Amino acid sequence: MEKIIDELDLEACAREPIRVPGAVQPHGALLVVDERDLRLLQHSTNAGDLLGIELRVGVALGDALGASLPKELDAWRGRDEPLFLRTVRVGERLLQLSAHRSRQGLQLEFEAAPSDERETLEAVYPRLRAFVDAIGRAGSVQDIAELAVREIQTLTGFNRIMLYSFDAEGDGTVLAEASDGILPSYLDLRFPASDIPAQARELYKSSRLRLIPNARYEPATISPAESPVDGKPLDLSHAALRSVSPIHLEYMRNMGTAASMSISILIDDELWGLISCHNAEPKLVNAQIRSACDFLGQIVSLQIGARQRADRAVRRIHLKHIEGELLAQMSQSADFHAGVSAHQQTWQRLVAADGVAVVSADGITALGLTPSKPELLELAKWLHATDPSELYATDQLSLHWPQGAAFANVASGLLSISVSQLNPSYIMWFRQEVERTVKWGGDPRKGPVTDRLHPRKSFDTWKQLVRMRSIPWTEVEIEAARDVRHSMINFVLRRAEERAALSEKLQRSNAELEAFSYSVSHDLRAPFRHIVGYADLLSHRETGLDEKSRHYLDSIVDSAVHAGRLVDDLLAFSQMGRTTLNPVRVDMQKLVNEVRRSRDPDLQGRAITWQVGELPPAYGDPSLLRQVWANLIDNAMKYSATRNPAEIRIEGAPVEGGARYSVSDNGVGFEMAYVGKLFGVFQRLHRTEEYQGTGIGLALVKRIVERHGGTVWAQGDVDKGATVGFELRDSRKEGADGRP
Amino acid sequence: MADLRPILLVEDNPRDLELTLTALERCQLANEIVVARDGAEALDYLHARGTFAGRDGGGPAVVLLDLKLPKVDGLEVLGQIKADAHLRQIPVVMLTSSKEERDVVRSYELGVNAFVVKPVDFQEFFKAIQDLGIFWAILNEPPPGFRRD
Repeated sequence: MEKIIDELDLEACAREPIRVPGAVQPHGALLVVDERDLRLLQHSTNAGDLLGIELRVGVALGDALGASLPKELDAWRGRDEPLFLRTVRVGERLLQLSAHRSRQGLQLEFEAAPSDERETLEAVYPRLRAFVDAIGRAGSVQDIAELAVREIQTLTGFNRIMLYSFDAEGDGTVLAEASDGILPSYLDLRFPASDIPAQARELYKSSRLRLIPNARYEPATISPAESPVDGKPLDLSHAALRSVSPIHLEYMRNMGTAASMSISILIDDELWGLISCHNAEPKLVNAQIRSACDFLGQIVSLQIGARQRADRAVRRIHLKHIEGELLAQMSQSADFHAGVSAHQQTWQRLVAADGVAVVSADGITALGLTPSKPELLELAKWLHATDPSELYATDQLSLHWPQGAAFANVASGLLSISVSQLNPSYIMWFRQEVERTVKWGGDPRKGPVTDRLHPRKSFDTWKQLVRMRSIPWTEVEIEAARDVRHSMINFVLRRAEERAALSEKLQRSNAELEAFSYSVSHDLRAPFRHIVGYADLLSHRETGLDEKSRHYLDSIVDSAVHAGRLVDDLLAFSQMGRTTLNPVRVDMQKLVNEVRRSRDPDLQGRAITWQVGELPPAYGDPSLLRQVWANLIDNAMKYSATRNPAEIRIEGAPVEGGARYSVSDNGVGFEMAYVGKLFGVFQRLHRTEEYQGTGIGLALVKRIVERHGGTVWAQGDVDKGATVGFELRDSRKEGADGRP
Repeated sequence: MADLRPILLVEDNPRDLELTLTALERCQLANEIVVARDGAEALDYLHARGTFAGRDGGGPAVVLLDLKLPKVDGLEVLGQIKADAHLRQIPVVMLTSSKEERDVVRSYELGVNAFVVKPVDFQEFFKAIQDLGIFWAILNEPPPGFRRD
């Protein structure tokens, strides 16, 4: 919708002195008296006529109106009541007096007292009671509104009573109407926010009921114009008789109404709506009935407020359930993307959205009706740039972000929460465009003309097709999104904390392990060395030992040497996890040849046929990869010892993202059933006396390869040989060290 | 062979001490072997102070230094030797039970002349000690200006 009135007019309106009009409506008279001595400070020029007495400034109230009034006022002033309402007799006249305090003195307003018995507060009291009962049983805001307009009509007899509520933009929509058919029906019509200027709206909050009995009245001015108390014009904010803006009177006349009364509906101190009464002819509603209407307005306010709160509570509880579901699901998901993808329905249900998307550094996930991924990315950037706060909600995105017009049909409504404090990460909900026709009470664009401020003249129904808007997000839905965000952030933080705690624990246990293995390496090795040393000394000294004794001594040495080797291997294995990798390009061909050559002296006349294929280079730690080759080649040599000739085949091939290598032999092989044990620490598939070893060799291979982010595998058959292989990823492309 | 300077062996473990001494004996070196049982004693000897105050002779031909020692540990002794202008010329051989990477690195940083992991196999151990003893005690020329008795 375009702007209805421009800046200039708004300013002109705002300048209108509606609180200090300097006059009252002539259906009553105003006296302002000094609160301390009740001497007259100011009065409306019609006061003398209405009261039937001579008035002059400075006269004591008691002298002018009789002694009983000051006494009653004194009693009232002692109490803490805001309003003094009394029927008083002045001379022959019976008048309705209402008084209230102001900075500039007590303001006493006199009007004619109800002439009809039926129009007194006492008479309507039973009706009010019945109304309170009925409204308590009303099921919805709509029911309450309908009851209210009917009741006001009965109480006041206005031709048409409307109850309308304001939306977020301040436009008012007529919810309920009671009419005798004399004035046209405005039911369902919408009135633009500019019909009630901001300052009037403020005034409506502090003064709940206004009456204009005759739109063609001649104002009765205040005399003197400036208050003797502060030298300023009299503030009539709370005076029922306050004279209204001529623009408003013109508006009324344009609307075809001669009398009007409006009652504010205030919920949580905000102007929620108005009950607006109109009459084709001038119409006076006496102060007692007005008081009843005011009371009724308050009851309606309370009831609507309560109903809305109850509705919200029900909805909130419902959404809390969904939120709980979401969080439970989220706790089992790796990240937002996975979590939202897996439970799209729940996510959409939370705020009744047509689509949901997650945009973060990890990518974009879009589900249901959403803009395209490039559009989502742009949207996230815009959100981050313009409003990086935690939550953003609109039902007409294209109004705030013109690019949004391109996909307004799928996503006019956006509700977005930011789920990371570090980088732009958003969960966004979308609502599609809902085209609808709004019936305005007159074309709201036909604003005032330029010479002076004028209200619009036509109130004929004017239809407007509203596009690029979705159904608005309700307060409860926005709250639900906010809550989810809160929980998500907490959830993410908790995960981070848990990780930090875990990593601290790991570091501690790593440090302990390191200290342990350090002491093992020094202290456990020494006794084995001593055993071997002393046994050796003994065997040199005792030259006359028989064969059995020599065998015993040799066994002692063998066992201790083996134990020492075990310690060494275990240490190498445990160090594996701690040393840092220094990945460089490694010429595997060269490495294999070096290892092979270094084994030559151990061959002791064995016949081995070597077949070494072309080995692609690897990226890793050269000394660790040498260890891998050494262990695999030693294994192949060991388990093919009984073959003549032994055949050892070393092969390699590039694979996607890395390379694959293997060492095969024609040795004793193994049963595939035990392949899982092959790479375990201390897991041996052969008896010790058959094949020597500590059972750590392949475990170390596995550990080194895995430290490089690779995998190991083995294939074998009993008596037909074995193949052990490994695959390494090219660590230049990604972190080779898969550890955090 | 009066001009032969002694070998300082710093070792706290009595068994290692006995085995090392046996190995050195078998090398049939003429050098006197001086034994210190902890780092503090080794430093006392080197500085000719404490129980070694007024001892004869100058610095040893070589220091065979165990890494783990009571009171002042091997690395610290090494550090003090290499930081002392009068002592830094003395060759120091670190003897240790394990090849813990950080010990090796630290030793070389401090300027160790050799680092030997004591092998479990006594024959290897014997050979290592023999090589060391011969190399440092006999073949190695002392640096110029070092007092030779």
